[in-house]
Amino acid sequence: MRKLLLLAVLFATPSLAQVLAHPRDMGLPDSDYTRPDPVEYQLALENGLIAYVTEADQVPLVTMSAFIRAGRVSDEKQGAAESLQDALKNSGPSEMSGDDFKTSLKQMTAEFVVEMHEEWTEITLNVPAEDLDQALLIFVRLLRDPAISDANIERATGSVAPEANDLGGESGTALYEGSMNAAVDHFYEIIYKDHPYGRRPTTDEFNDLRVADVAEFHARYFVPGNMTIAVAGAIDVDEINGRLVDLFGDWAAADVPEVKQMPAITRSRAALHHFPSNKLQSWLVIGHDLPPAPLEEQAAFDVMDYIMGAYHMNTRMMRNTRYKYGYTNDASSFAEDRWYGPGGYTYRSYSRPEVIENIYENMMGELIRIRNEEVSDHEMFVAKGALADGDFQVRYLDGYALTRSLALERLRYGNHDRSASYVQRIRGVTKEDVLNAARKYLRPDSLQVILLGEEAFELE
Amino acid sequence: MRIFRNLSILAVVFFVSTASAQNYDLPILEHVYENGLRLLVIERPGEDRVVSKIFTDMGALNETPGQYGAAHFLEHLMFKGTPTLGSLDWEREKEVHAQIRAAEDALIEELNRSRNDLRERGVFHDYQHSETTPRIDELRALIDSLNRQAQELSEEGPMKVWYQAYGGTRTTATTEQEYMKFDLDLPVDRVELFLRVEADRMQNSVFRNFDAERMVLVEQRLGDLNRAETEYREAMNSLVGRASMVYVPEGYSNDFQQYTRRYERELYETYFVPNNTTLIFIGGVTLENMIPKVDKYFGHMERAPEPARYQGREPLPSAEKRLNWRSNTLAPRVEVRYQIPGVGHPDRPLFDVLAEAFAAHLQSVVAEAGVDGSVDINTRVVHTSRFGVPASINIELLVDDSSQINKAEDTLLAELRRLGEEPLPADLVAQVRKKLRTEWYRTAVDPNALAFQIGHFEVMDSWRTLEPYLEARDAATADDLRLLAGKYFIAKNRSVGVVLPEGAQQ
Repeated sequence: MRKLLLLAVLFATPSLAQVLAHPRDMGLPDSDYTRPDPVEYQLALENGLIAYVTEADQVPLVTMSAFIRAGRVSDEKQGAAESLQDALKNSGPSEMSGDDFKTSLKQMTAEFVVEMHEEWTEITLNVPAEDLDQALLIFVRLLRDPAISDANIERATGSVAPEANDLGGESGTALYEGSMNAAVDHFYEIIYKDHPYGRRPTTDEFNDLRVADVAEFHARYFVPGNMTIAVAGAIDVDEINGRLVDLFGDWAAADVPEVKQMPAITRSRAALHHFPSNKLQSWLVIGHDLPPAPLEEQAAFDVMDYIMGAYHMNTRMMRNTRYKYGYTNDASSFAEDRWYGPGGYTYRSYSRPEVIENIYENMMGELIRIRNEEVSDHEMFVAKGALADGDFQVRYLDGYALTRSLALERLRYGNHDRSASYVQRIRGVTKEDVLNAARKYLRPDSLQVILLGEEAFELE
Repeated sequence: MRIFRNLSILAVVFFVSTASAQNYDLPILEHVYENGLRLLVIERPGEDRVVSKIFTDMGALNETPGQYGAAHFLEHLMFKGTPTLGSLDWEREKEVHAQIRAAEDALIEELNRSRNDLRERGVFHDYQHSETTPRIDELRALIDSLNRQAQELSEEGPMKVWYQAYGGTRTTATTEQEYMKFDLDLPVDRVELFLRVEADRMQNSVFRNFDAERMVLVEQRLGDLNRAETEYREAMNSLVGRASMVYVPEGYSNDFQQYTRRYERELYETYFVPNNTTLIFIGGVTLENMIPKVDKYFGHMERAPEPARYQGREPLPSAEKRLNWRSNTLAPRVEVRYQIPGVGHPDRPLFDVLAEAFAAHLQSVVAEAGVDGSVDINTRVVHTSRFGVPASINIELLVDDSSQINKAEDTLLAELRRLGEEPLPADLVAQVRKKLRTEWYRTAVDPNALAFQIGHFEVMDSWRTLEPYLEARDAATADDLRLLAGKYFIAKNRSVGVVLPEGAQQ
């Protein structure tokens, strides 16, 4: 009779007939992933330039990137970096007119990006494989000999001068789109107030700048030993390596500029900075500077950050703001390191104004808890798996991701030791390491709180 | 420097290759199970990871007025777990959920009974005979209390957490007018995890934290409304369409309060059935090894009655319509929209070419006419740019100076008329074909983006339409575009929007 009843249930609700093992009981295999060996992709020229090249032929496209250790804080003469960025972006190689350069990019249907960060610059050109010869020639020429003119200085003046970037001050209003960006900009203005990272060229400094200054900046930093190259796509690797030797080989080796180490930040006491806004929501940024983490602490910091708020949906921050209470759509952390100085570590959220205080309190509660209590075994299991088997693998997911990751690592650290040991270091992190990382890298007494929106609360 | 000698010459003599049939090489393999479930695979031997997606043929088109956004909300609810994922004590939790459902049924009954008292009668949402009833307050308080009990018996993030723990990334989901999809990218030897979780999600979802989650949608809506353009675009959408749900946003403020578990459950049970579902994998798997794996988790599901298809249909275009929008925060503009056919119609691919080519052409015409402004032509409605049903092409001309608005409109309309009479320059059309081809390759190189396109075409029409769609764009000529403009860019199919500062004269 019992068997008959069971059969009746099975037929009545067929979906229940399936017994689903819990994921931890599925016998999923351990990861046997190994990071691709950099040596297999590397081309080292005698002049010091290093390239990483691989074939990825799913589609007839080629991507080439250059990474140069030179950024906004590298220039001796203020404004030279920004003006060079403009030249790279808009003027093209010196043997072409700016119009011809743009016409060529358009006809190739190229994607062309120049991004200048504080300490490094990335130039990327993506084109159809049929245009590879043309693109490679322009790319190399641009790196070696960009057209620099007064027009670049003039345009850079317009986009960088302080008056063009007025955030409205503490009593101003932020009415423009992207209010979270405005809140983050305010945060960095505050923590980098007297720091080289916060320095922006003034109009007077641009007025003093000459084309020769910009050219000198380029000549000093854009040298073979101070850059790496990545090429991936529908290519023949041997052929491209040969072309790179042809195109870069006669570029004379030059002294590699010394890295400019940036000073630490003098921390302020915790403070609330309120910026009014008339939007339907309020935006919250809580954070302080992020000192460079030594190699032996980096993995523990990553695990701690993953558990707390690193940009995914299953963090302590998300659980205690979004999921339990529906206060917000997002509450995440952003660890934004710099290569040679202090970065920023922020926790960000936004909501309707009436619950922003609840979000603040819940986020602060989590920031304090992680410093006082060990995380759980389950949290460690998830974070380690996500970092070692997820995020890390994705860095080498396809040809371009692979060559880009290797080129950047090489330029920044001079070797590939960090990526070689990353999985092992993550696996070795203990709960105590996480607690120590939280105590060192999260300092409630120094948190700067940016509130963009209606006035809502005061710091305790 | 010899290598650079010919650079200038290269720039000058560079020309666009002529149109030719392209091989898009989409090696999609298909297997359809007896229960109707569709499995699509692109094999990439040797890859360490696999992009995995599950598409359901349902979305905002299937919603009822007053419940707009309910499909999107269902997606949120389907992240809340199942009896085997996320519960700390399912037997007890199940009982609390039964009590919540009973309380909600009673609440719905009371809301219906009190309908004439609660009905909003004011244009400005300012008058009801009464705001609530004692019974409604009592039931809402009961549901709040039961919600708290249920929350104590469950844990958050019950599905994503296992994906993350085993190396899954891109643990996202999307709901648009015509589809809902869940995404994952994970190590290839763990692909069964995706099947296990998605089969469970498809059949056994528990709608935990229902009332907190609805506020997350409110936050998303507020985020939309913070953008100055949102309300204007929604007004333009509703100007273009009269019957089709394509033009409706993901919920107005009143809708969010009205979602019920009962309605969400109805959507879930109707549409999340194997014969309405497509699984897509791109990466280091083979069709051969996926067929039994999928069968293990989905094979037992029975084919369900075919879910009702969306039947909304626009009446024939009959008159030009116009919207005058006043705003001091939105850039002044004139916008002209025309209804265009959906994917699956032979004319639809040509609109991609037309949009690009006409945008470039119009930009130069506008400059020659002395109008300072920028052109944007797109086919976006709400958040989506392609549909399996008719939608619109949107030709926008933003002007720097609102006093030029009349001139801008005259120039735009004159050029639209000319477009139906004279072909665009052939080299421009050839350049656009190349641009679209390159953009497609940029999509296809990313397995996640490629899998999305395959799934999107499957719900709009068929995955088999994708390759001919791309080839049709490659074959488009300037004369094809002229004929297209002559057919669709007619006055009675036109909706015009004009944005001006408050108080400005037109």
